[in-house]
Amino acid sequence: MLNNLINEHSFLTIVGMGFVTYLTRISGYLLLRNKDYPKLTRVLEILPGCVMISLIAPIFVTGKLSDLIAVTLTIITAMRFSFLVTLVVGIGSAGILRFFLPMILH
Amino acid sequence: MSVSSVAQQKLKHHTYKECVRAFKVAIPLIISFIPFGMMLGAQAKIKGMSLLELVLMCGLNFAGGSEFVAIGLWQQIPPLLLIVCMTLLVNCRHILMGATMIPICRRQPVRKMLLSFFLLCDETWALSLQDSYRRMEEGYREPFSYPFYITIAVSFYITWIVSAVLGMFVGPLLGDLTQYGFDMAFPAVFIVLLRGMWNGWRRGIPWICSLLVACIVHLMVPGAWYVIAGTMTGLLMVLCMPSRFFEVKHAE
Repeated sequence: MLNNLINEHSFLTIVGMGFVTYLTRISGYLLLRNKDYPKLTRVLEILPGCVMISLIAPIFVTGKLSDLIAVTLTIITAMRFSFLVTLVVGIGSAGILRFFLPMILH
Repeated sequence: MSVSSVAQQKLKHHTYKECVRAFKVAIPLIISFIPFGMMLGAQAKIKGMSLLELVLMCGLNFAGGSEFVAIGLWQQIPPLLLIVCMTLLVNCRHILMGATMIPICRRQPVRKMLLSFFLLCDETWALSLQDSYRRMEEGYREPFSYPFYITIAVSFYITWIVSAVLGMFVGPLLGDLTQYGFDMAFPAVFIVLLRGMWNGWRRGIPWICSLLVACIVHLMVPGAWYVIAGTMTGLLMVLCMPSRFFEVKHAE
């Protein structure tokens, strides 16, 4: 019956994706759960920031001036204002600059 | 018996309050999930994916980045091995995220955590971690709030699937949502969270090195290697420098 709804190959691909993703989700926790070194604690304190900042790296190097200005504005806003304000400034400035900046520069 | 029922009621009330609190924190992110999910659905439609395939993928995999990559590579007969390997590569960062959760959920039962980790995504991880750090500072005995985590995780999960399905139907009409700036939601979220975790320049140095290397690798190597390269750079710096260097000096 499943065969009529979804082809076997697509089904296996999706199940494979789900399986490896779940493995990545639990393996860090499972493997290091019982370890306890001071160095590990230090690493685990600083590492989240490294992951987060690496994740957002592409926005710094899109090669578009509008994106660079928008991300700078977002950082400045984040230093002073709440989460929601920063989100609005980030999305708003990116949308506006991407639309108007090419017009001004040409 | 009445004592225990009073305690139970208290616990119920507390759980309810935690769920509401979590939902409030999650709302802006839930809203920012919608355009991404819709974009995913729209692209899946273009690539000829069926509704069932899309829902299964979002439901079983539930990791946005890898799903965009998979749809980019999708064909009538999808390249199974390539897609699974790319998924693993894009989602490698979860290994580190799971590891960073260890200190905050030590008191939680392992089996419960293993189940909860099925729903772990970038945003859930970041919000939950930040919340636990705050609770630690405020002197709670248990830093990890399970109802907080699960509320955020489930609301993201539902939003993701619903908006992807929605995108499959209306997406092609909307065009590219990134031109309206919605893709800036993701960096904005992480910039705010990084600010919250900022603990002086010394601890900031590995972060800045991570950013530089991730930028360079992103420019030079296609794919998701930049996340791994950036993170590993920061990790190496922390490992190579003496622990003393990163000690936080509290203001007298």
